[in-house]
Amino acid sequence: MSHLKVHDRTMSTSNDSTSIVKGMSSRFRKLATAGVGLSAAALLAGCATDAPQDTWKPAGANAQKIQDLQWPVFLTAGVVGVIVMAFIALTVLKYRDKGQPIPEQAHGKAWLEYLFIAIPAVILAAIAIPTVGVVMALNATDDTECVINVTGQQWWWEYDYEVGADGTICGYAPSAVEASPIITSGQVVIPANTKVLLRGTSRDVIHSYWIPRLNGKRDMVPGRVHFLRLESDTPGIYAGQCTEFCGLSHANMRMETVVLEPADFQKWLDNELEPYQAPAEGSLAAEGESTFIAQCSRCHQVNGLVDPNNGNIVVSYPDQFVYSGAAPNLTNLMGRNTFAGATWDLLTPECRADVWEASPEEFGDKYLAGVSQDCLNEIDLREWLRNAPAKKPMYADPAMLEQTDGKVRGMPYLGLSEDQIDQLIAYLLERK
Amino acid sequence: MFTTGSKLLFGASGASLVGTLLYGVLIGGIMGTVGLVSLTAGLIFLAGINAFIRDANVAADDVARFSGSAAATPRPASSVWPIGVAVGGVLIALGVVIHAALTIIGLVVVLAASAEWLLQGWAEGASSDASHNREVRGRLAYTAEMPVAAAIGLGLIVFMFSRVMLGVPTKSSTIVAFSIVATIVLFGGAVISRARSLSASKMFGLFSIVSVVLLAGGAVAGLNGEREIEEHHTTAHYAELDKCGEEEISADEHASQTVAGKANSSAEVTLDENGLSYVRPGLETPQTGMIQLPRSNANNILFRNETAEPRRFIAELAEVEGSPARLCTALIEEGGVQLLTINYAAPSFDPAVEESGGYAFVVAGLDDRIEVVVP
Repeated sequence: MSHLKVHDRTMSTSNDSTSIVKGMSSRFRKLATAGVGLSAAALLAGCATDAPQDTWKPAGANAQKIQDLQWPVFLTAGVVGVIVMAFIALTVLKYRDKGQPIPEQAHGKAWLEYLFIAIPAVILAAIAIPTVGVVMALNATDDTECVINVTGQQWWWEYDYEVGADGTICGYAPSAVEASPIITSGQVVIPANTKVLLRGTSRDVIHSYWIPRLNGKRDMVPGRVHFLRLESDTPGIYAGQCTEFCGLSHANMRMETVVLEPADFQKWLDNELEPYQAPAEGSLAAEGESTFIAQCSRCHQVNGLVDPNNGNIVVSYPDQFVYSGAAPNLTNLMGRNTFAGATWDLLTPECRADVWEASPEEFGDKYLAGVSQDCLNEIDLREWLRNAPAKKPMYADPAMLEQTDGKVRGMPYLGLSEDQIDQLIAYLLERK
Repeated sequence: MFTTGSKLLFGASGASLVGTLLYGVLIGGIMGTVGLVSLTAGLIFLAGINAFIRDANVAADDVARFSGSAAATPRPASSVWPIGVAVGGVLIALGVVIHAALTIIGLVVVLAASAEWLLQGWAEGASSDASHNREVRGRLAYTAEMPVAAAIGLGLIVFMFSRVMLGVPTKSSTIVAFSIVATIVLFGGAVISRARSLSASKMFGLFSIVSVVLLAGGAVAGLNGEREIEEHHTTAHYAELDKCGEEEISADEHASQTVAGKANSSAEVTLDENGLSYVRPGLETPQTGMIQLPRSNANNILFRNETAEPRRFIAELAEVEGSPARLCTALIEEGGVQLLTINYAAPSFDPAVEESGGYAFVVAGLDDRIEVVVP
């Protein structure tokens, strides 16, 4: 009697489970299709060629160390992941509820538990040993050949090159003048095959410096000094961006590392240290110089700029107007290819492509040519000068600056006329 | 015709009338005259009332009327609250002249005393049983009286204790606070906890003695005034006064000469027998002569003295807007380290900076210096 009852229950359960299994298989097919589609899309994304921030394309010794580490780690993790997922899938499918009695529960298999502890421990140890080695190698500073200070602030990076005790900058002595500190922003220029150490900090909030093709990330924290090694043997431009959320325009805080052959780095250095050349008298650029002094020099420094009205050297005081206390030095603005935190190019798309896609042999000359009148991306620069906060989100509304005692974070709206913008562009074009 | 009480009052009225007339004629003065006239009128009024009710006398042998008379009814307990209201009123009046705080205190006293007075009056009419009336009053009043009394008591203890602490020298304060008083409290607590029973009167007596001692000590200490508290200035204060020299200053006493955050300094400056040198993080080679530091940012500079003489490290800053003229450390003993955080508000090429001699690191009493370049 009891046997019959069990049989009846099994029959009815079998009918129910058949319909359930059909429903499940239908849903499974949909889920599987979606999963395969997403996986394929992710895989295809990896095939992108225009990916300047590709972590899998190292272009220097430091990034190569990471690459050499991450390949076996990802491979190991992938194999473990596949085994675990396959085991789970097998268990789910083979032992799914089909109305069978609950199987006997196993306890006390000590050898199995030891095995499940030992396998992950061995894997983790095998990964940890080279990881610690790479971490230590990436933190080494005893082989530094060139130190460049990098300071983050909302939302751009400032670089200053120190003059060493031997009167050189990164071991390069200026050809014509005495060495003096170089301050630039947006793009940091380094000599190829040189162990460069970025000595980084921040003026306002925590930022994070990352050039994926040259090294990993490093936080830049106010009041602290952190290091990041950069090195590349291939001339070119390597892009990166801030990877620590730092406020309204975090996504627009980018940076580029420019690698030049030693001879080209020497040229760049000499150019940066060239004395200030005032615009020709009566030119549009000369009018732009006056406009710059009146409108921009409160925050932006141009080294060597002298006010023609009184003969005084023009000194900027950004700490009085800007929350971070700094604004980009524009001495050689057109010697670099970007502006506004490396968010926009100073080059037109065609000229930019010409520089970015240049071969390592041709790159130096093309980069050092700077921005010419024909190659100037006047559209973005003009929009920026017309209304900077409208182009890049910044805390620059005078009515909302109580918390910062009236100091702006970013560049404010200056109310420049179109004539003034023409003058400024003409003046800035000569800053290279 | 006249009862005994009436005779007294009429006599007093007559004397007052005579006194009023004499004062009014011989001395004069409106206020005095008005006062005496009022007194006389009051006495005459009372004399009339007393004569009318015939001293409220009841014959002693009239037992029924005697026991039922108003004079035979037990009088309610004397009340302190009218005095409280009067004191509060005086405080209000004084406060108008002296200080507004007194007026507020007086107002609080008047309100509290009035409430107590009303409550007492209400409770005394609750029944003919005085003990029951007291209990009724207690039920209502204690819920407010106890917390307020406790708060005032604790406040007094804290205040008086603080007066004692401020009145004695620093080391004695520590001994008083953490040794003697603590021992007494511990001993007293042990005695109380070990006693099988302690009557309320003994407890009250004990706490009364402690309270009196504390109040007396507080009062004496308060009258003597606070001890002279020496003001300790930082090295920044002395730097403003141009006292970053070789001589010892109060900021040198107990100054810390160890720094923990060495990994995050902008530079470590060392003074040894060869003079001043520095090491920047990232480049371990010691350098001399010139150092480059960023503008508008906190530069943490560690100074280490490796000479036998105590030395003071000075950062010479230009006298430009938003910057002090100099900063200095305390006198550093041999092997000691201190930190200066410096924010340069203007670049080195600022004419104002150049005119004031530029930025530099120096050591008091020595000629050696490191020029600071701020681009």
